[in-house]
Amino acid sequence: MNPRVPSTLNPGDLLQRVNRDVERSILRARNGIRYVRGTHRPALGATPKDVVWKSGKAELWRYKGGDRRYGPPVVIVHSLVSRSYILDLRPGNSTVEYLTGAGLDVFMLDWGVPDELDADNDLERYVDWYLPRALAEVRRVTGHDEVTLAGYCLGGVLAALYAAGHEDANVRNLILMATPMDFNEMGAMVALLREGRLDPDEMIDETGNVPADALYSGFYMLAPTTEVAQKATLLENLWNDEFVEGFQAMATWSRDHVPFPGAAFRQLVELLVRQNILMTGSMPLGGRQIDLAGVRGNVLNAMAERDNVVPPAAVEPVMGLVGDPGRREELRLPGGHVTFGTGRSAFKHTMPKLTNWIIDHSDPLS
Amino acid sequence: MPASQPLWLRVVLRVERAIGEPIESAVRSDTYFDLISTTTRVRRRVTGTAEGVSRRCLHLLNLPAESDIRGMRQQLSRMERRLNELSDDVAELDGSEPPPGVGT
Repeated sequence: MNPRVPSTLNPGDLLQRVNRDVERSILRARNGIRYVRGTHRPALGATPKDVVWKSGKAELWRYKGGDRRYGPPVVIVHSLVSRSYILDLRPGNSTVEYLTGAGLDVFMLDWGVPDELDADNDLERYVDWYLPRALAEVRRVTGHDEVTLAGYCLGGVLAALYAAGHEDANVRNLILMATPMDFNEMGAMVALLREGRLDPDEMIDETGNVPADALYSGFYMLAPTTEVAQKATLLENLWNDEFVEGFQAMATWSRDHVPFPGAAFRQLVELLVRQNILMTGSMPLGGRQIDLAGVRGNVLNAMAERDNVVPPAAVEPVMGLVGDPGRREELRLPGGHVTFGTGRSAFKHTMPKLTNWIIDHSDPLS
Repeated sequence: MPASQPLWLRVVLRVERAIGEPIESAVRSDTYFDLISTTTRVRRRVTGTAEGVSRRCLHLLNLPAESDIRGMRQQLSRMERRLNELSDDVAELDGSEPPPGVGT
């Protein structure tokens, strides 16, 4: 055989390749029709769960899983700007499912979708009202006094303020996932508010909240053309059911923001953005001063190296501010802001590392 | 960029980056910030003016405007919020709810 003849001209290979391409074209057509019609949407947030506590829009979910082999229970505090199903995106691709599968007792504190009734919800409402009550319920149903508290994004700020601001918090482990501390490093959208070019009241609508659309536009404008690249990649992989399902799940989540309660937004802009107060190590809340170094448990500061929503530079100061210096650990993960919930890197790095850290800092249940 | 990607996709991704990168730096510029804040203010002013005109017209016909309904909804929401707070307080006094954590 002439060695210069490329192997692709081998008739067997060629036939195989033609077969594969025909097969993929048929699958592309089928999945394309399904995608355009909007049928076959993936099940989001599908891990079975019970609602164990509810107040206003806030709900505390306890996930059903296999054997609960470790304690204390893990309570995830979600952010105020996005939907919590990013951490339970779809079966087989879910942080919650991974944690429960590893034998952890997992709870999620979901804030629901705020409306006019929630416009007066300030940070005190979350840190001093919802969190203590939800965690009291966790203690009641599990029989554990301690908890592992894991806050995602802004949920991490709420979790840290709760853990530092409550004598009876009993947080054995505080996990901060992509939690911003230095708001000067938060990028363009936040700079608009910091520099006073935009007042928080200009963003608040007639319901008293920042509309979800405004938040979506802000995130969209960080990279307005990437949707083209994403759609082109989808077209190329349209034959792959798994890829299409993952794409639809992520596309749904990234457009599915929730309104931000107006009172909390004004406080966030004034204290966290304009005064960058978390960088001082303490923050006034509910008539007292909360010292972030007052967190008594182990602290894990987890950050995503390619996060363009909460960049590593905004997260790194946690290591100098929250908890006891001897009990702080840092976890740098490859991937972006959603690596805590989904993606190849989540499975390879985030989920195993987070789970192992929690198990290492938990007790086996008898 | 993986070599296994077809040529057309590699071209699209390159073009997207070539166009996207300048746009991304533009939306982080002072000019863009000014444009956003001006647009937001102008939009609010225009909406406010239009609402004012339509409100006056509707009031002439003794009809409620959207802003009246909005005001009423806000009042109702405030009342409902207060009722919820009172009902939470009562539930806690009854002992049917776990006590709140103690702030330090």
